[in-house]
Amino acid sequence: MKSRGPNLTAPSRSAEPTGIYTAAPRERRRRSRKAEIIAPPPSTGFRLPKPVRRLQRNAPVYAMQGLAELSSRLRQLTGREIIDLNRVMGFVQFAYQQRELARRGANYTVDDFGFDPQWTESFLSVFRILYRDYWRVETTGIENVPATGRALLVSNHGGVLPWDGTMIKTAVFVEHPSPRHVRALVASLFMGMPVLSWFLRRTGQTVGHPDDTRRLLERDELVLVFPEGVKGTGKPFKDRYRLRRFGRGGFVATAIRAGAPIIPVSVVGSEEIYPMITDLAPLAKMFGLPYFPVTPFWPWLGPFGVIPLPSKWRIQFHSPIHVEVHPPKAADDQNLVMALADQVRDTIQQGVYDNLKLRRGIFV
Amino acid sequence: MARRLAPQVPYLFGCDVADPISAIEEMDFVHADTRHAVIGKLVRRLRIDTVVHLAVTVDSAREDRADHETNVIGTMNVLIGCAGASSPVERLVVKSSQAVYGAGPGDPSFFSEDMAGTERQGSFVTRDLLEMEQLVNEFAIRDPTCQVTVLRLGFRVTDGTTLARYLSLPIVPTFAGFDPRLQLLHEEDAVEAIVRSAMGVHPGAYNVAAGGVVLLSQAITIMGGRAVPILPHNGQWLARLGLRAVTGVDLPGHLAGVLAYGSVLDCSKLSAEFGWKPAYTTRSVMDALARGKTEEHVEAPSPPQEYELQVYLQRRRREERDGHRLARS
Repeated sequence: MKSRGPNLTAPSRSAEPTGIYTAAPRERRRRSRKAEIIAPPPSTGFRLPKPVRRLQRNAPVYAMQGLAELSSRLRQLTGREIIDLNRVMGFVQFAYQQRELARRGANYTVDDFGFDPQWTESFLSVFRILYRDYWRVETTGIENVPATGRALLVSNHGGVLPWDGTMIKTAVFVEHPSPRHVRALVASLFMGMPVLSWFLRRTGQTVGHPDDTRRLLERDELVLVFPEGVKGTGKPFKDRYRLRRFGRGGFVATAIRAGAPIIPVSVVGSEEIYPMITDLAPLAKMFGLPYFPVTPFWPWLGPFGVIPLPSKWRIQFHSPIHVEVHPPKAADDQNLVMALADQVRDTIQQGVYDNLKLRRGIFV
Repeated sequence: MARRLAPQVPYLFGCDVADPISAIEEMDFVHADTRHAVIGKLVRRLRIDTVVHLAVTVDSAREDRADHETNVIGTMNVLIGCAGASSPVERLVVKSSQAVYGAGPGDPSFFSEDMAGTERQGSFVTRDLLEMEQLVNEFAIRDPTCQVTVLRLGFRVTDGTTLARYLSLPIVPTFAGFDPRLQLLHEEDAVEAIVRSAMGVHPGAYNVAAGGVVLLSQAITIMGGRAVPILPHNGQWLARLGLRAVTGVDLPGHLAGVLAYGSVLDCSKLSAEFGWKPAYTTRSVMDALARGKTEEHVEAPSPPQEYELQVYLQRRRREERDGHRLARS
């Protein structure tokens, strides 16, 4: 029978032959100490019989084999791809990655913002399915995103939940020749909400505070900012693709101070995922939310109302606006800052209109 | 702390209301509290040029007058004692804490030195510390000949602080849906920072905390505990009450905020001006705490000699054992 746990005595004998073997056997026994058991002792409780355990271990393999068989049969019968194995593999990969992550225990490090890249990448395999198959995102101008160095991505904001941020992150990670993590800035409001507070931080987001933006840019990160904020996500369906006010141009001032180029990003498709009919402000106030949306499906269908509609998306990264040519002192020039903010806003708005024209329909 | 200072200064003088934990030959000691007459007399009679004021209570859960008296009024008295044209004091080091920033969901990810005193309803410790630092600032402006250093020390988990006891629980109730970043400071690094500021000339406020962060859940895993997310984040007093009733850990108000939203310091000013940064990272502080948990506890330290002997013997035993293991492997 194979011994459990590492064998402690074997290496010590080969490493130190003199110290032990010079003594007489009796003396040796007296001086020797029992080997400490490092591996946990085998559990003595109930164990399933061996064939059942083997079956248990191999169940995922059998399931995948069966599924592959089924998918090829269906393809032969109907001539179409009914079960896409790549899509299934994405989920399987996610499940395995989660198990691997659980095995790390406490042996991982997060950066000072609380970002855990390994953990985030496990989620990207699921987001990639949403990106490719659900919203069928078409991304253009990814070459405008630098492979190294700092840059500030500025995007329009829409949809009730910030799926557009997730998709921009996925786009840069999936499409870019040298995959990068985008660090988005979120409203401090979300940092006070349970679950979201740690999920956002752990996937690389941080508070939309000028100080945080500066620190991220100084670490040569790609930072994503939505200057419209919750005014953008909470706008009714009839106002879709009309950009709100771009804050007070604070993002331009921060970019000038940090010497980072601004890359405007236009997202089309995010506005149709939850068509918001009206906003129940008193309820929102009660729950401490910025708005309480009413869509054709929410809150009537309960949790099913949270499923976003499969609209067709387009993301365009525009060519960078080089604000870093201005000296850092120019950040105090309100006139210049607001002019640049308007330029960024116009670029995004124009890009949104262009991409709306390129899209054949909302869902195709 | 005094042990570190002793070889570097010609004359060392300590004063406290309680007995010192261990006697040092080079140090003279009197029992005194922070009344300004006492401090003033001491400072002028002995021509003391450096005062290190450490009598600031941070790790306290009771919201009573005593802590306010210690922190604000005590500091005020020390400052008055050191003030005036006849005062020989050239350097003053005041201990403050990370708690001065408080912790909230809207706060930036890092606190730099100029971010204290944002308009927020902080816990009473935060308010007291802010008031205390304001007094120190006023003193520094009034008395430009005296170099005043304020050290905002990070949270420490040695010597059975509340945070250490909380993290050492076998089942740790945490705020439901929150997993903040923790930043800690090792006691040795805190002492080193105080000694360096007493020996050098570094006027102003400094953040002192270990590099890096750990997540709360990670810290609990390192300690071998299990996190149970049950505390409500929007009723922190209720959470503290429940925690005290169930586990006996009396969590101070400012720590409740830290355990929900996290508070991380930016120590770049410290490393730039002192040319030094804490030797321990937050992770190694946690590892040291986890190691300390497995060590045996020495009981009944009635006479100090006996205690030191026992600690020494224990260390010898441990070294022997480790040495043995090293030789074997």
